[in-house]
Amino acid sequence: MNEAVTLRGVTKTFQTGTSALSPVDLAIAAGSFVSLVGPSGCGKSTLLRMIAGLLDPSGGEIARAWTAGPQGIGFVFQDATLMPWANVAKNVSLPLEIAGLPHDGVAEAIARVGLEGFAQSYPRELSGGMRMRASIARAIVAKPSVLLMDEPFAALDEFTRFRLNDDLLALWQANRWTVIFVTHSIREAVFLSERVIVMSPRPGRVVADMPILFSQPRAAALRNDHAFTDVCARVGAALGEAQAA
Amino acid sequence: MRRLLPLLFGVVVLALWEAAVRLNNVPEYIVPGPIAILRALGKDGADLLAGLVVTLEVTVAALLLAVLTGGGFAFLLAQSRLAEQTLFPYAVFLQVTPIVTIAPFVIIWVPNVFVVLLILAWMAAVFPILSNTLLGLKSADANLRDLFRLYGASRWQTARRLLLPSALPYFLGGFRISGGLALIGTVVAEMVAGTSGTRSGLASRLLEASYRLELARAMACFVLLSAAGFAIYWLLDILSRRLLRHWHESAKDT
Repeated sequence: MNEAVTLRGVTKTFQTGTSALSPVDLAIAAGSFVSLVGPSGCGKSTLLRMIAGLLDPSGGEIARAWTAGPQGIGFVFQDATLMPWANVAKNVSLPLEIAGLPHDGVAEAIARVGLEGFAQSYPRELSGGMRMRASIARAIVAKPSVLLMDEPFAALDEFTRFRLNDDLLALWQANRWTVIFVTHSIREAVFLSERVIVMSPRPGRVVADMPILFSQPRAAALRNDHAFTDVCARVGAALGEAQAA
Repeated sequence: MRRLLPLLFGVVVLALWEAAVRLNNVPEYIVPGPIAILRALGKDGADLLAGLVVTLEVTVAALLLAVLTGGGFAFLLAQSRLAEQTLFPYAVFLQVTPIVTIAPFVIIWVPNVFVVLLILAWMAAVFPILSNTLLGLKSADANLRDLFRLYGASRWQTARRLLLPSALPYFLGGFRISGGLALIGTVVAEMVAGTSGTRSGLASRLLEASYRLELARAMACFVLLSAAGFAIYWLLDILSRRLLRHWHESAKDT
Protein backbone atom coordinates (compact mmCIF):
# COMPACT_ATOMS: atom_id res chain seq x y z
CA MET A 1 0.00 0.00 0.00
CA ASN A 2 1.13 3.58 -0.73
CA GLU A 3 2.22 5.53 2.31
CA ALA A 4 1.29 9.19 2.54
CA VAL A 5 3.86 9.74 5.24
CA THR A 6 6.41 7.59 7.03
CA LEU A 7 8.12 8.55 10.30
CA ARG A 8 11.25 6.74 11.43
CA GLY A 9 12.54 7.33 14.95
CA VAL A 10 11.21 10.88 15.03
CA THR A 11 11.98 12.74 18.27
CA LYS A 12 11.56 16.30 19.42
CA THR A 13 13.45 18.04 22.17
CA PHE A 14 12.78 21.73 22.68
CA GLN A 15 15.55 24.27 23.26
CA THR A 16 14.61 24.38 26.93
CA GLY A 17 15.69 20.75 27.11
CA THR A 18 12.15 19.40 27.48
CA SER A 19 11.70 16.19 25.60
CA ALA A 20 8.33 16.40 23.87
CA LEU A 21 8.45 13.20 21.90
CA SER A 22 10.17 9.82 22.38
CA PRO A 23 11.12 8.12 19.12
CA VAL A 24 7.98 7.65 17.03
CA ASP A 25 7.74 5.20 14.16
CA LEU A 26 4.59 5.54 12.12
CA ALA A 27 3.40 4.89 8.59
CA ILE A 28 0.13 6.37 7.40
CA ALA A 29 -1.50 4.93 4.30
CA ALA A 30 -2.56 7.26 1.50
CA GLY A 31 -6.30 7.88 1.52
CA SER A 32 -6.79 6.82 5.13
CA PHE A 33 -8.38 8.74 7.98
CA VAL A 34 -6.14 8.49 11.03
CA SER A 35 -6.64 10.13 14.42
CA LEU A 36 -4.01 10.89 17.03
CA VAL A 37 -5.45 10.95 20.54
CA GLY A 38 -3.74 11.61 23.83
CA PRO A 39 -3.84 13.82 26.90
CA SER A 40 -3.03 17.52 26.59
CA GLY A 41 0.67 18.13 26.24
CA CYS A 42 1.47 14.64 24.94
CA GLY A 43 3.10 16.07 21.85
CA LYS A 44 0.40 15.14 19.34
CA SER A 45 0.20 18.69 18.00
CA THR A 46 3.99 18.83 17.90
CA LEU A 47 3.97 15.59 15.91
CA LEU A 48 1.38 16.99 13.50
CA ARG A 49 3.38 20.18 12.98
CA MET A 50 6.47 18.11 12.23
CA ILE A 51 4.50 16.04 9.72
CA ALA A 52 3.35 19.32 8.13
CA GLY A 53 6.94 20.55 7.98
CA LEU A 54 6.26 23.52 10.25
CA LEU A 55 8.67 22.14 12.86
CA ASP A 56 11.88 20.24 12.29
CA PRO A 57 12.33 16.99 14.20
CA SER A 58 15.31 16.82 16.57
CA GLY A 59 16.04 13.29 15.38
CA GLY A 60 14.81 10.70 12.92
CA GLU A 61 13.31 11.32 9.53
CA ILE A 62 9.96 12.01 7.91
CA ALA A 63 9.23 10.92 4.34
CA ARG A 64 6.29 12.74 2.81
CA ALA A 65 4.56 11.65 -0.38
CA TRP A 66 2.95 15.01 -1.12
CA THR A 67 4.27 18.04 -2.93
CA ALA A 68 4.83 21.35 -1.15
CA GLY A 69 2.13 24.01 -1.40
CA PRO A 70 -1.66 24.01 -1.23
CA GLN A 71 -2.15 21.18 -3.74
CA GLY A 72 -0.10 18.93 -1.48
CA ILE A 73 -1.26 19.89 1.96
CA GLY A 74 -4.12 21.55 3.79
CA PHE A 75 -3.94 22.48 7.46
CA VAL A 76 -6.74 23.30 9.87
CA PHE A 77 -5.90 24.82 13.25
CA GLN A 78 -7.84 24.71 16.50
CA ASP A 79 -8.97 28.27 15.84
CA ALA A 80 -10.46 29.02 12.47
CA THR A 81 -7.43 31.29 11.84
CA LEU A 82 -9.17 33.34 9.17
CA MET A 83 -7.93 36.74 8.05
CA PRO A 84 -10.42 39.07 9.76
CA TRP A 85 -9.96 41.76 7.12
CA ALA A 86 -11.03 39.49 4.26
CA ASN A 87 -14.44 38.02 3.48
CA VAL A 88 -15.07 34.26 3.23
CA ALA A 89 -14.40 34.11 -0.51
CA LYS A 90 -11.06 35.91 -0.14
CA ASN A 91 -10.08 33.74 2.82
CA VAL A 92 -10.94 30.55 0.98
CA SER A 93 -9.06 31.61 -2.15
CA LEU A 94 -5.87 32.48 -0.21
CA PRO A 95 -4.04 29.20 -1.00
CA LEU A 96 -4.83 29.59 -4.71
CA GLU A 97 -3.73 33.23 -4.59
CA ILE A 98 -0.40 32.36 -2.97
CA ALA A 99 0.32 29.47 -5.31
CA GLY A 100 -0.81 31.44 -8.38
CA LEU A 101 -3.49 28.87 -9.24
CA PRO A 102 -6.75 29.76 -11.04
CA HIS A 103 -9.53 30.76 -8.67
CA ASP A 104 -12.21 28.45 -9.96
CA GLY A 105 -13.29 26.04 -7.28
CA VAL A 106 -13.68 28.71 -4.62
CA ALA A 107 -17.47 28.75 -4.91
CA GLU A 108 -17.49 24.95 -5.00
CA ALA A 109 -15.36 24.66 -1.86
CA ILE A 110 -17.61 27.13 -0.06
CA ALA A 111 -20.68 25.14 -1.14
CA ARG A 112 -19.13 21.85 -0.03
CA VAL A 113 -18.78 23.04 3.54
CA GLY A 114 -22.34 24.41 3.48
CA LEU A 115 -21.54 28.12 3.41
CA GLU A 116 -23.47 29.05 0.24
CA GLY A 117 -24.64 32.63 0.49
CA PHE A 118 -21.90 33.64 2.92
CA ALA A 119 -19.07 34.21 0.44
CA GLN A 120 -19.18 37.97 0.98
CA SER A 121 -19.50 37.76 4.78
CA TYR A 122 -16.65 38.78 7.04
CA PRO A 123 -15.45 36.35 9.73
CA ARG A 124 -16.81 38.40 12.60
CA GLU A 125 -20.31 38.13 11.11
CA LEU A 126 -20.15 34.32 11.33
CA SER A 127 -20.67 31.91 14.22
CA GLY A 128 -17.77 29.78 15.51
CA GLY A 129 -19.00 26.75 13.59
CA MET A 130 -19.34 28.70 10.35
CA ARG A 131 -15.86 30.14 10.77
CA MET A 132 -14.51 26.62 11.15
CA ARG A 133 -16.39 25.60 8.00
CA ALA A 134 -14.70 28.47 6.14
CA SER A 135 -11.36 27.31 7.50
CA ILE A 136 -12.01 23.79 6.18
CA ALA A 137 -13.07 25.21 2.80
CA ARG A 138 -9.74 27.05 2.66
CA ALA A 139 -7.85 23.86 3.51
CA ILE A 140 -9.54 21.82 0.75
CA VAL A 141 -9.92 24.44 -1.98
CA ALA A 142 -6.78 23.41 -3.85
CA LYS A 143 -7.68 19.70 -3.49
CA PRO A 144 -4.65 18.73 -1.39
CA SER A 145 -3.60 15.11 -1.14
CA VAL A 146 -3.29 15.31 2.66
CA LEU A 147 -5.35 17.22 5.19
CA LEU A 148 -3.88 17.83 8.64
CA MET A 149 -6.27 18.91 11.38
CA ASP A 150 -5.13 20.03 14.82
CA GLU A 151 -8.08 19.72 17.24
CA PRO A 152 -10.22 21.66 14.77
CA PHE A 153 -13.51 21.28 16.63
CA ALA A 154 -12.27 21.51 20.22
CA ALA A 155 -13.63 25.01 20.74
CA LEU A 156 -17.13 24.24 19.43
CA ASP A 157 -20.23 23.12 21.26
CA GLU A 158 -21.11 19.44 20.99
CA PHE A 159 -24.05 19.88 18.65
CA THR A 160 -22.00 21.91 16.16
CA ARG A 161 -19.14 19.50 16.59
CA PHE A 162 -21.29 16.46 15.67
CA ARG A 163 -22.61 18.19 12.56
CA LEU A 164 -19.12 19.17 11.46
CA ASN A 165 -17.91 15.60 12.13
CA ASP A 166 -20.69 14.24 9.91
CA ASP A 167 -19.92 16.74 7.17
CA LEU A 168 -16.18 16.15 7.35
CA LEU A 169 -16.73 12.41 7.06
CA ALA A 170 -18.96 12.90 4.02
CA LEU A 171 -16.30 15.10 2.41
CA TRP A 172 -13.62 12.54 3.08
CA GLN A 173 -15.72 9.69 1.69
CA ALA A 174 -16.28 11.66 -1.49
CA ASN A 175 -12.63 12.61 -1.98
CA ARG A 176 -10.44 10.15 -0.08
CA TRP A 177 -7.65 12.49 0.79
CA THR A 178 -5.37 11.34 3.57
CA VAL A 179 -6.61 12.92 6.80
CA ILE A 180 -4.49 13.09 9.95
CA PHE A 181 -6.69 14.34 12.74
CA VAL A 182 -5.52 15.35 16.21
CA THR A 183 -8.11 15.37 18.97
CA HIS A 184 -8.50 14.72 22.67
CA SER A 185 -12.03 13.41 22.19
CA ILE A 186 -12.09 9.62 22.02
CA ARG A 187 -15.63 9.52 20.64
CA GLU A 188 -14.74 11.94 17.87
CA ALA A 189 -11.64 9.94 16.97
CA VAL A 190 -13.50 6.62 16.87
CA PHE A 191 -16.43 8.00 14.93
CA LEU A 192 -14.28 9.57 12.22
CA SER A 193 -11.29 7.34 11.81
CA GLU A 194 -10.22 4.10 10.23
CA ARG A 195 -7.35 3.98 12.66
CA VAL A 196 -6.78 5.55 16.06
CA ILE A 197 -3.28 6.09 17.40
CA VAL A 198 -3.07 6.56 21.16
CA MET A 199 -0.19 8.56 22.61
CA SER A 200 1.21 8.67 26.14
CA PRO A 201 1.80 11.80 28.21
CA ARG A 202 5.03 13.72 27.65
CA PRO A 203 7.42 12.64 26.39
CA GLY A 204 4.86 11.32 23.93
CA ARG A 205 5.14 7.92 22.32
CA VAL A 206 2.68 5.66 20.54
CA VAL A 207 1.15 3.27 23.06
CA ALA A 208 -1.66 1.79 20.99
CA ASP A 209 -2.52 1.64 17.32
CA MET A 210 -6.09 0.46 16.83
CA PRO A 211 -7.96 -0.13 13.58
CA ILE A 212 -11.59 1.01 13.73
CA LEU A 213 -13.52 -1.41 11.61
CA PHE A 214 -16.98 0.13 11.32
CA SER A 215 -17.95 0.19 7.66
CA GLN A 216 -18.04 3.39 5.63
CA PRO A 217 -20.12 5.42 5.03
CA ARG A 218 -20.89 5.88 8.69
CA ALA A 219 -24.15 7.37 9.83
CA ALA A 220 -24.71 9.68 12.78
CA ALA A 221 -26.67 6.83 14.44
CA LEU A 222 -23.41 4.95 14.91
CA ARG A 223 -22.71 7.13 17.94
CA ASN A 224 -25.53 5.41 19.82
CA ASP A 225 -24.47 1.89 18.85
CA HIS A 226 -23.25 -0.46 21.62
CA ALA A 227 -20.36 -1.65 19.49
CA PHE A 228 -19.29 1.99 19.09
CA THR A 229 -19.39 2.54 22.83
CA ASP A 230 -17.34 -0.64 23.34
CA VAL A 231 -14.62 0.54 20.95
CA CYS A 232 -14.55 3.93 22.67
CA ALA A 233 -14.14 2.13 26.00
CA ARG A 234 -11.19 0.12 24.62
CA VAL A 235 -9.48 3.26 23.34
CA GLY A 236 -10.20 4.91 26.68
CA ALA A 237 -8.62 1.98 28.52
CA ALA A 238 -5.48 2.20 26.38
CA LEU A 239 -5.30 5.90 27.11
CA GLY A 240 -5.80 5.24 30.83
CA GLU A 241 -2.99 2.68 30.90
CA ALA A 242 -0.69 5.09 29.11
CA GLN A 243 -1.40 7.79 31.68
CA ALA A 244 -0.98 5.45 34.63
CA ALA A 245 2.34 4.05 33.35
CA MET B 1 -30.14 65.49 23.79
CA ARG B 2 -27.07 63.74 25.20
CA ARG B 3 -25.11 64.80 22.16
CA LEU B 4 -25.97 68.42 22.86
CA LEU B 5 -24.74 68.28 26.45
CA PRO B 6 -21.06 69.05 25.69
CA LEU B 7 -22.19 72.00 23.55
CA LEU B 8 -24.47 73.30 26.30
CA PHE B 9 -21.65 73.00 28.83
CA GLY B 10 -19.38 75.03 26.54
CA VAL B 11 -21.97 77.76 26.10
CA VAL B 12 -22.49 78.05 29.86
CA VAL B 13 -18.73 78.32 30.51
CA LEU B 14 -18.36 81.00 27.81
CA ALA B 15 -21.30 82.96 29.22
CA LEU B 16 -19.79 82.86 32.73
CA TRP B 17 -16.46 84.01 31.31
CA GLU B 18 -18.04 86.93 29.45
CA ALA B 19 -20.04 87.90 32.54
CA ALA B 20 -16.96 87.79 34.79
CA VAL B 21 -14.96 89.97 32.39
CA ARG B 22 -17.76 92.54 32.07
CA LEU B 23 -18.76 92.69 35.73
CA ASN B 24 -15.15 93.19 36.85
CA ASN B 25 -14.30 95.60 34.05
CA VAL B 26 -11.22 93.59 33.08
CA PRO B 27 -9.43 95.37 30.21
CA GLU B 28 -9.21 93.51 26.90
CA TYR B 29 -5.38 93.51 26.90
CA ILE B 30 -5.42 91.40 30.08
CA VAL B 31 -8.34 89.01 29.57
CA PRO B 32 -10.57 89.43 26.53
CA GLY B 33 -14.08 88.00 26.75
CA PRO B 34 -15.44 85.52 24.19
CA ILE B 35 -17.30 88.27 22.35
CA ALA B 36 -14.11 90.33 21.91
CA ILE B 37 -12.34 87.21 20.61
CA LEU B 38 -15.19 86.60 18.18
CA ARG B 39 -14.92 90.22 17.04
CA ALA B 40 -11.18 89.79 16.46
CA LEU B 41 -11.90 86.62 14.48
CA GLY B 42 -14.34 88.56 12.31
CA LYS B 43 -12.08 91.56 11.79
CA ASP B 44 -8.80 89.68 11.11
CA GLY B 45 -10.46 86.55 9.72
CA ALA B 46 -8.85 86.57 6.27
CA ASP B 47 -5.43 87.41 7.68
CA LEU B 48 -5.60 84.68 10.33
CA LEU B 49 -6.88 82.07 7.89
CA ALA B 50 -3.88 82.79 5.66
CA GLY B 51 -1.69 82.05 8.68
CA LEU B 52 -3.64 78.88 9.41
CA VAL B 53 -3.07 77.70 5.85
CA VAL B 54 0.69 78.17 6.27
CA THR B 55 0.64 76.24 9.54
CA LEU B 56 -1.49 73.45 8.11
CA GLU B 57 0.77 73.12 5.07
CA VAL B 58 3.66 72.31 7.37
CA THR B 59 1.49 70.07 9.56
CA VAL B 60 0.14 68.01 6.68
CA ALA B 61 3.54 67.74 4.99
CA ALA B 62 5.13 66.64 8.27
CA LEU B 63 2.37 64.11 8.88
CA LEU B 64 2.72 62.60 5.41
CA LEU B 65 6.48 62.48 5.81
CA ALA B 66 5.98 60.77 9.20
CA VAL B 67 3.68 58.19 7.61
CA LEU B 68 6.18 57.41 4.86
CA THR B 69 9.29 57.34 7.01
CA GLY B 70 7.67 55.91 10.16
CA GLY B 71 5.80 53.21 8.26
CA GLY B 72 8.75 52.41 6.03
CA PHE B 73 11.23 52.32 8.87
CA ALA B 74 8.90 50.09 10.92
CA PHE B 75 8.68 47.73 7.96
CA LEU B 76 12.48 47.54 7.75
CA LEU B 77 12.89 47.00 11.48
CA ALA B 78 10.26 44.23 11.40
CA GLN B 79 12.37 42.31 8.90
CA SER B 80 15.09 41.56 11.40
CA ARG B 81 15.26 41.36 15.15
CA LEU B 82 18.88 42.48 14.97
CA ALA B 83 17.99 45.61 13.01
CA GLU B 84 15.27 46.40 15.53
CA GLN B 85 17.57 45.97 18.50
CA THR B 86 20.26 48.09 16.87
CA LEU B 87 18.14 50.97 15.64
CA PHE B 88 15.02 51.21 17.80
CA PRO B 89 16.79 53.02 20.69
CA TYR B 90 17.49 55.87 18.25
CA ALA B 91 13.80 56.10 17.46
CA VAL B 92 13.15 56.38 21.18
CA PHE B 93 15.77 59.13 21.32
CA LEU B 94 13.73 61.00 18.73
CA GLN B 95 10.64 60.62 20.88
CA VAL B 96 12.06 61.65 24.25
CA THR B 97 14.08 64.65 23.06
CA PRO B 98 12.08 67.88 23.40
CA ILE B 99 12.14 69.43 19.95
CA VAL B 100 12.83 72.92 21.32
CA THR B 101 16.28 71.68 22.35
CA ILE B 102 17.11 70.58 18.82
CA ALA B 103 15.51 73.56 17.10
CA PRO B 104 18.48 75.96 17.49
CA PHE B 105 20.77 73.54 15.62
CA VAL B 106 18.29 72.86 12.86
CA ILE B 107 17.69 76.61 12.44
CA ILE B 108 21.43 77.20 12.00
CA TRP B 109 22.00 74.28 9.65
CA VAL B 110 18.95 74.59 7.41
CA PRO B 111 18.49 77.86 5.52
CA ASN B 112 14.88 77.31 4.40
CA VAL B 113 12.32 78.11 7.13
CA PHE B 114 9.68 75.78 5.70
CA VAL B 115 12.16 72.91 5.84
CA VAL B 116 13.14 73.82 9.42
CA LEU B 117 9.50 73.68 10.49
CA LEU B 118 8.97 70.47 8.54
CA ILE B 119 11.91 68.73 10.22
CA LEU B 120 10.85 69.77 13.71
CA ALA B 121 7.18 68.85 13.21
CA TRP B 122 8.22 65.54 11.67
CA MET B 123 10.35 64.79 14.71
CA ALA B 124 7.33 65.33 16.93
CA ALA B 125 5.04 63.18 14.79
CA VAL B 126 7.03 60.20 13.61
CA PHE B 127 7.43 58.07 16.72
CA PRO B 128 3.82 56.94 17.37
CA ILE B 129 3.49 55.81 13.76
CA LEU B 130 6.84 54.03 13.84
CA SER B 131 6.35 52.22 17.14
CA ASN B 132 2.69 51.33 16.56
CA THR B 133 3.30 50.03 13.05
CA LEU B 134 6.24 47.98 14.27
CA LEU B 135 4.08 46.50 17.01
CA GLY B 136 1.35 45.73 14.46
CA LEU B 137 3.74 44.07 12.04
CA LYS B 138 4.97 41.83 14.83
CA SER B 139 1.45 41.00 16.02
CA ALA B 140 0.38 39.03 12.96
CA ASP B 141 -1.30 35.77 13.97
CA ALA B 142 1.30 33.02 14.42
CA ASN B 143 -0.94 30.34 12.89
CA LEU B 144 -1.60 32.50 9.83
CA ARG B 145 2.15 32.96 9.47
CA ASP B 146 2.53 29.17 9.57
CA LEU B 147 -0.20 28.81 6.96
CA PHE B 148 1.56 31.27 4.63
CA ARG B 149 4.78 29.32 5.12
CA LEU B 150 3.03 26.01 4.46
CA TYR B 151 1.61 27.34 1.22
CA GLY B 152 5.04 28.55 0.13
CA ALA B 153 4.23 32.28 0.21
CA SER B 154 7.05 34.60 -0.83
CA ARG B 155 8.31 37.30 1.53
CA TRP B 156 6.44 39.86 -0.53
CA GLN B 157 3.17 37.89 -0.48
CA THR B 158 3.42 37.47 3.29
CA ALA B 159 4.11 41.17 3.72
CA ARG B 160 1.29 42.31 1.47
CA ARG B 161 -1.43 39.84 2.42
CA LEU B 162 -0.62 39.20 6.07
CA LEU B 163 1.73 41.68 7.74
CA LEU B 164 0.39 44.93 6.31
CA PRO B 165 -3.30 44.19 6.98
CA SER B 166 -2.42 42.96 10.50
CA ALA B 167 -0.53 46.18 11.16
CA LEU B 168 -3.24 48.48 9.76
CA PRO B 169 -5.28 49.03 12.98
CA TYR B 170 -2.07 49.72 14.94
CA PHE B 171 -0.80 52.06 12.24
CA LEU B 172 -4.07 53.98 12.24
CA GLY B 173 -3.95 54.28 16.03
CA GLY B 174 -0.49 55.82 15.71
CA PHE B 175 -1.63 58.00 12.81
CA ARG B 176 -4.37 59.59 14.92
CA ILE B 177 -1.93 60.42 17.71
CA SER B 178 0.63 61.72 15.22
CA GLY B 179 -1.94 64.00 13.59
CA GLY B 180 -2.24 65.99 16.81
CA LEU B 181 1.50 65.82 17.45
CA ALA B 182 2.31 67.14 13.97
CA LEU B 183 0.22 70.23 14.67
CA ILE B 184 1.76 70.71 18.12
CA GLY B 185 5.21 70.22 16.59
CA THR B 186 4.50 72.81 13.92
CA VAL B 187 3.23 75.32 16.48
CA VAL B 188 6.25 74.85 18.76
CA ALA B 189 8.60 75.06 15.78
CA GLU B 190 6.98 78.28 14.55
CA MET B 191 7.33 79.84 17.97
CA VAL B 192 10.97 78.85 18.26
CA ALA B 193 11.99 79.53 14.68
CA GLY B 194 10.15 82.84 14.58
CA THR B 195 8.75 83.03 11.09
CA SER B 196 7.62 86.46 9.96
CA GLY B 197 5.97 88.39 7.12
CA THR B 198 3.11 87.21 4.94
CA ARG B 199 4.32 83.62 5.02
CA SER B 200 4.22 83.42 8.79
CA GLY B 201 2.10 80.73 10.36
CA LEU B 202 -0.68 81.13 12.87
CA ALA B 203 1.47 80.33 15.89
CA SER B 204 3.94 83.07 14.93
CA ARG B 205 1.04 85.48 14.57
CA LEU B 206 -0.26 84.41 17.99
CA LEU B 207 3.10 85.22 19.53
CA GLU B 208 3.32 88.54 17.69
CA ALA B 209 -0.17 89.57 18.82
CA SER B 210 0.61 88.71 22.43
CA TYR B 211 3.78 90.83 22.31
CA ARG B 212 1.60 93.73 21.20
CA LEU B 213 -0.93 92.94 23.94
CA GLU B 214 -3.60 92.27 21.28
CA LEU B 215 -4.89 89.43 23.39
CA ALA B 216 -8.22 89.12 21.57
CA ARG B 217 -6.34 88.49 18.31
CA ALA B 218 -3.94 86.09 20.04
CA MET B 219 -6.86 84.13 21.46
CA ALA B 220 -8.51 84.07 18.06
CA CYS B 221 -5.32 82.38 16.75
CA PHE B 222 -5.53 79.95 19.63
CA VAL B 223 -9.17 79.13 18.83
CA LEU B 224 -8.36 78.46 15.18
CA LEU B 225 -5.40 76.22 16.08
CA SER B 226 -7.52 74.20 18.50
CA ALA B 227 -10.26 73.86 15.89
CA ALA B 228 -7.66 72.68 13.38
CA GLY B 229 -6.41 70.09 15.89
CA PHE B 230 -9.96 68.82 16.40
CA ALA B 231 -10.54 68.69 12.65
CA ILE B 232 -7.37 66.67 12.07
CA TYR B 233 -8.34 64.17 14.77
CA TRP B 234 -11.88 63.94 13.45
CA LEU B 235 -10.77 63.34 9.85
CA LEU B 236 -8.27 60.68 10.86
CA ASP B 237 -10.91 59.02 13.03
CA ILE B 238 -13.31 58.86 10.07
CA LEU B 239 -10.55 57.48 7.85
CA SER B 240 -9.72 54.87 10.46
CA ARG B 241 -13.34 53.74 10.85
CA ARG B 242 -13.78 53.59 7.09
CA LEU B 243 -10.79 51.34 6.64
CA LEU B 244 -11.58 49.03 9.54
CA ARG B 245 -15.36 48.94 9.56
CA HIS B 246 -15.76 45.42 8.19
CA TRP B 247 -13.46 43.64 10.48
CA HIS B 248 -11.91 45.38 13.44
CA GLU B 249 -13.51 45.46 16.88
CA SER B 250 -12.59 49.12 17.31
CA ALA B 251 -14.84 50.13 14.39
CA LYS B 252 -17.77 47.88 15.22
CA ASP B 253 -20.57 50.38 15.73
CA THR B 254 -20.43 52.14 12.39
